[in-house]
Amino acid sequence: MKPISLRTVTTEAKLLLIGIPVLVWTLLPVYNLFLFSISPKESAFAGNLWPDHPTLHIFAVVFGEKHYYLSHFWLQLWNSLLIAVTVGVLTLIVATCAAFAISRLKVKGGRAVMNLALFTYFIPAAFLAVPMYKTMGNYGLLNNQWALILAMLTIAAPYSIWVLKQASDKLPYELDEAAKMDGASPLQLFRLVYLPLMTPSLVAIGTYALLLAWNEYLYAFLLLSNDRQITLGVALGNFLAADDSPWELLMATGLIYALPPAAIYYVFKRYMVGGLTAGAVKS
Amino acid sequence: MASVTFSNVEKSFGSTKVIHGIGFDIRDGEFMVLVGPSGCGKSTLLRMLAGLEEISAGTIAIDGRVVNDVESKDRDIAMVFQSYALYPHMTVADNMAFSLKLRKAQAKVIQERMSRAAKILNLEPYLARYPRELSGGQRQRVAMGRAIVRDPKVFLFDEPLSNLDAKLRVAMRAEIKALHQRLKTTTVYVTHDQVEAMTMADRIVVMHDGRVEQIGTPLDLYDHPGNLFVAQFIGSPAMNVVEGTIKRENGTGHVLSHSGVRWPLGAAAGAEGQSVAYGIRPEHLSLTDAKAPAAVPAEITVVEPTGAETELLLQAGEAQIVLVTHGRPQVNPGDRVGLAVEPAMVHVFDQKTGQRLAA
Repeated sequence: MKPISLRTVTTEAKLLLIGIPVLVWTLLPVYNLFLFSISPKESAFAGNLWPDHPTLHIFAVVFGEKHYYLSHFWLQLWNSLLIAVTVGVLTLIVATCAAFAISRLKVKGGRAVMNLALFTYFIPAAFLAVPMYKTMGNYGLLNNQWALILAMLTIAAPYSIWVLKQASDKLPYELDEAAKMDGASPLQLFRLVYLPLMTPSLVAIGTYALLLAWNEYLYAFLLLSNDRQITLGVALGNFLAADDSPWELLMATGLIYALPPAAIYYVFKRYMVGGLTAGAVKS
Repeated sequence: MASVTFSNVEKSFGSTKVIHGIGFDIRDGEFMVLVGPSGCGKSTLLRMLAGLEEISAGTIAIDGRVVNDVESKDRDIAMVFQSYALYPHMTVADNMAFSLKLRKAQAKVIQERMSRAAKILNLEPYLARYPRELSGGQRQRVAMGRAIVRDPKVFLFDEPLSNLDAKLRVAMRAEIKALHQRLKTTTVYVTHDQVEAMTMADRIVVMHDGRVEQIGTPLDLYDHPGNLFVAQFIGSPAMNVVEGTIKRENGTGHVLSHSGVRWPLGAAAGAEGQSVAYGIRPEHLSLTDAKAPAAVPAEITVVEPTGAETELLLQAGEAQIVLVTHGRPQVNPGDRVGLAVEPAMVHVFDQKTGQRLAA
């Protein structure tokens, strides 16, 4: 074992000194969410660190759709999931093909197209909400989940293309040349060499787009209005429409809504590490 | 197996011309090495043959078939890259089988060819491993295996050894040469290392600034360099070159250097008063008494014993001279000595054109 030097100890200590407050700061709201959802309604605002009579009754109400605001809970959860997954998959398809064309096939004007797409980020997405609403109206897609899917794809794609292009630029170009000499067509190169090597980045970008759509509120609120079409996120917002909001239900549903992203992060984090390209070329 | 013919091949990147009308033949089964300093166009020429670069003008033919507009995969050639370019997500076996699978070869054929290649290259224990689990030399062998399984008409090597350490490079050099002697496949090998070129080639093409300087067998280039560039590029340590003027008297001649040192000329060509570059290889000089007739006076500056040989750096007039001897001369820096020149081994080049002056 290496002797621990004073320097290591101080570095460790400094990191902990910063890390612990940040951790507490981050987890406090989540804990509050959890606390609300297991506290009986009367004691929810008591300010205790742990409720006197913790209960799972609130979750039973949510899962049983036993409240006016929750009458489509399962359907809305399904809507959120369906939209998020579709956005994730579509973004991956669009961004991967674009990145491959720009970075590997070096299609003329590819970089310009990518820069134009990135340029849209100069305008905050909120400013584009109304034009987007009008556009979707022109397409006759209002109150159709495709409106939200297409809008989210538009927002997620430029960043995804850029990230995937950066990642594919790092793949050695000799691999393409070797595959070309081995007799691979561009499509075979894409499928047999490019995609396997890009897997970590693809997982990262797919997760990014999926979570972006899952967490979206503004566009979902604007483009969807029917109770049977909206996502759970929008449904949660509707809780606040009443004067006497059912806080404990809002918090419990919110907690449930926050679990899938956490799970996705946990499952995919090991795919996001690099190192898959090790051994391709001498570096 | 096949011959390769370059005729008036040119290459331009934008308005910059990097290959200026190159033409030569590579014979069936020949091991041809393209050598030159970096930026001389040798890799570009190879990549044009491989189909990775467009040919701006002229033609390249493999076995008599012009391949200018033929795709890489249909040229029936295989290439080993400097960086190996192994597919990192595939095992050694899959790397080698990739091209055959793309060609939809039968599983039996793939298996047969792969085990043959693995046997030739001693890769049998590593077939299930991934490239990242192999050493540099093993990766290089996999890259060669990938070429062998295709049984191509021509092998192309693009500086395949420059990523290896010195010891491994010597071992792989011998391995590639042995492989060629066994398979007898036409091979084009690019390197900037003239030792590699000398040891491996049947014939060498020396390139410089996008032009061919000379083509010939290794010893031919060594003994009869056609110009000053080849003379200085081929051979290690490099040929000593002294600039001066030819003086002839009583049937013998010498080159008088700018600082007045007389370098014996022997029967070498050149007219009286001509400005020339006088070349003599380090091993064609020997130490002698400073007062001996025709000895070139010099002062020893550095003594470098390598065991088998001793390399001496000397100052003769304005010229830095290297001398290599097999013995272990008892000399020290600062000693004044005489250099004996083997007159038959002197090379004389025109100072302006750099061309060899024929005897």
